[in-house]
Amino acid sequence: MPIVFACAASHAPGMTAWTEAAPKQQADNFLGSYRKLGERLAAAKPDAIVALTVEHWANFFLNSMPTFSIGRAERYDGPIEEWLRIPKASVPGDVKLAAELIDACLDGGFDPLFSDELLFDHATYLPLHFLNPNMTVPVVPVIINTLTPPMPTAKRCFAFGEFLGQVLSRSDKRIALIATGGLSHWPGEAQHGKINIPFDKKFLENLITGDHHQLTAYTHAEIDRNAGSGGHEIRTWIALAGAVQSWKAQLIAYEPVVPWATGCGLVEFSQ
Amino acid sequence: MSLYQVQKLIYHVNRDPERRERYRQDATTFVKSYDLTETESAALLHVDVRALYTMGVHSLLLRPFTLLNKVSNDDYAKALKGLG
Repeated sequence: MPIVFACAASHAPGMTAWTEAAPKQQADNFLGSYRKLGERLAAAKPDAIVALTVEHWANFFLNSMPTFSIGRAERYDGPIEEWLRIPKASVPGDVKLAAELIDACLDGGFDPLFSDELLFDHATYLPLHFLNPNMTVPVVPVIINTLTPPMPTAKRCFAFGEFLGQVLSRSDKRIALIATGGLSHWPGEAQHGKINIPFDKKFLENLITGDHHQLTAYTHAEIDRNAGSGGHEIRTWIALAGAVQSWKAQLIAYEPVVPWATGCGLVEFSQ
Repeated sequence: MSLYQVQKLIYHVNRDPERRERYRQDATTFVKSYDLTETESAALLHVDVRALYTMGVHSLLLRPFTLLNKVSNDDYAKALKGLG
């Protein structure tokens, strides 16, 4: 059982940068549940974390914007945001696992960018702060472009996740597979603070019931309209659903936290 | 208009500590190293949230940039009021 843990988790800078702006009950429930997920990740004793993640202009710009990319670095410095209120650290990578993943992708019909030098912004660093608090478990970031269109389709993300799941299931390492992003949010936009709770709940239902038809049917326009520019990050969750298709998903927490401007979800998958 | 250059400047300041320091030491000189119109330079130098937003700067470039410049959540929202 090489994938030994799987979860999907939202990130929002406010979770750490302005934690206290949120209603205490919401913050305590969500962040407490986040930390407990981290404890269960540690209990699964993973050799590495493969993070299906996104980025916010930490590495890539419009001169070169990869659809899928895999980090092959020895270390990842973060966070780039000096206002995030999380101590800076250099997170260890897993070069060998990353290289195996990249090779497998190229042999298997996916052609990701690879990089030996990536920075972590809050998208990856904040979830790791809760799930890998000592930053000791090595990480392989798998970044999906959910930042600026054109973006990969939900169907393609599911297929990419399915493929990665097959590769990782053959690994000789114990893998914690995490996805991060979403749910509905309009970060930094004029609609900042808006949360579409019905959209989030329907998405979570599709995830938890394993409705892969619905998960792969989300269109870019539909996500853009109903879940905002930040909602595009649900593509990482959809990829995770593809990776652990036979696993049972359980809702750990859902809090629409207006001061964090994000529909915040945590879902754990178990065999 | 050179939205690409505006966004590139913000991208550099947000992600690169060395460039960020140069921007903080002398923003006027720093913006001159990018191919910007006077309007764009002024919007950047004044951290004019509404002007930068309406010219099309990506929100995930703009909000971190304004946080670096100590623009509060309330002031940011006020600057964009009526645009949604």
